[in-house]
Amino acid sequence: MNGCSKDELMTVLLARELRNGDLAVTGASSLVPVAACLLAQRMHAPDLTLITPAGVVNPKPTRLYRSASDGRWVEGAEAIGTAYDLFEMSENGRLDVMFYGGVQIDRHGNINLTGTGYGEDGLPRFRGPGLANTSFAVVSGRILLFSAAHTPRTFVDKVEFLTAAGHLGGPGEREALGITTQGPVLCVTPLVTFEFDAEKCMQVRSIHPGVDPDEVIRSTGFALREASWPRTAPPTQEELSLLRECVDTSGELSA
Amino acid sequence: MGLADAVANVKAGQLVALGGLWFHNNPCAAVRELARQQVRDLRIVAAPPSSYAVDLLIGAGCVTQATVGHVSFEHLGFAPNFRRAAQEGSVRIIDADEATILGGLMATVEHLESHPVTSVKGTDIGRSFAAPRNRDGIVAPIAMRPDVCILHAQEGDIYGNVRDLGTPFCDPLFAKASKYVIVTVERIVDNLSIRENPHRTTIPGYLVDAVVETPFGAHPCSSHGVYVHDEVSISAYIKAGVNADAWRREYFGPYVEEPASLEAYIQRVGGAERILALSEVVR
Repeated sequence: MNGCSKDELMTVLLARELRNGDLAVTGASSLVPVAACLLAQRMHAPDLTLITPAGVVNPKPTRLYRSASDGRWVEGAEAIGTAYDLFEMSENGRLDVMFYGGVQIDRHGNINLTGTGYGEDGLPRFRGPGLANTSFAVVSGRILLFSAAHTPRTFVDKVEFLTAAGHLGGPGEREALGITTQGPVLCVTPLVTFEFDAEKCMQVRSIHPGVDPDEVIRSTGFALREASWPRTAPPTQEELSLLRECVDTSGELSA
Repeated sequence: MGLADAVANVKAGQLVALGGLWFHNNPCAAVRELARQQVRDLRIVAAPPSSYAVDLLIGAGCVTQATVGHVSFEHLGFAPNFRRAAQEGSVRIIDADEATILGGLMATVEHLESHPVTSVKGTDIGRSFAAPRNRDGIVAPIAMRPDVCILHAQEGDIYGNVRDLGTPFCDPLFAKASKYVIVTVERIVDNLSIRENPHRTTIPGYLVDAVVETPFGAHPCSSHGVYVHDEVSISAYIKAGVNADAWRREYFGPYVEEPASLEAYIQRVGGAERILALSEVVR
């Protein structure tokens, strides 16, 4: 695939999903979505606004920094918000796109970042990092999911702790809670791009070039409707050149 | 005021707010001093994304309850002591997030019993102790009033006028909601310098009770605009955290208990020049 890395592929695929004028917020360990926003700004979405989890508005870095809240994102940015500004967005709406990954992501796009293996005593055998903001899953116009790991442990039938709302139990459940936003619209992994069917279950929208369909089935912890999945359009030379020459100048995504 | 004197204001059993975010702008030297003084039974609350300050106090055995959103060293690894305590049940973990933590602080600054946060829906966080419901069934965190808050910033004058050179994040709100506010700063600047740029003041002096000049006081975290986080130190911290004994032996002993002063600690982690040059190597 033009010799691009998994992270570069996921970055390009997420960038294509962003729209001009979107207001997008990223979370922890979010090098891929941050790079996707910066790449989209260079391509079809010059008026996309990116806000980092530290509240930095429209950073214009000369390279990528691996920590989402590294102080070096500040230089050249348009504004510095506080946690209160993120609170405003999480209560007041305004946000168009939020990115989430998860320790577990279930077939309805619900996110678990809190823990797995809960015993009778209520304690988790594995405690995850937790989440800084669950509200964005409620108020963000749409959610783009991504996961660097595509394994049956990550993609499960049902999350053990529901940290952030996807489509909950299925169609109509968000609406029943008074949630008016779309929820997750897709999920990008190193193997496929998932979308959601009428039952709000993840199905393969496209399989990435060179990936064996059997590997996708083996690596996913819930049943997939099998069909002849279309292939993902690989990153173009233009997309990769812009990414490498203008966004990821130090090669953080190519490792 | 010296760091030990400032930290001596923290008493066993109190609710302590810890500033910064992830491994940036954490009040690390102050938290190590708190651990050295063996202040016990603390309840802590941290900025929604947190790391070192929370994890170190838990590892040092100072904490009985932690109200936290996300605790990790981001791409560098999990927070080992937090994770162990949550799995073993040795610390009561209250699963919170930005809306429930900020809601609790805002209830305090607005002088309300609780502050509704209508956007906390469809999540198990909404069922936790941090997120009780009001009469209308809306999640409404109870007013949270930390006894002490401990923050780290880059500059401040002797009157406690504080200037963050990067993101202030939760720190100004913590300062407004807390009874006693301690700020460590990289350098004390002249009051005239503050007055020359009043719009740059992020926390005004009337909110601050103690300001302590504490160069490199955020290490191994970053201090925005002055030095970046120390991946070598943080990775060593995480590695030592594989079990409680190893962490006490390989981290708590050499980096918390033994250094007789902040200067001694800085020497032990490679010296000031090394820390200031980290931006050349940290990706």
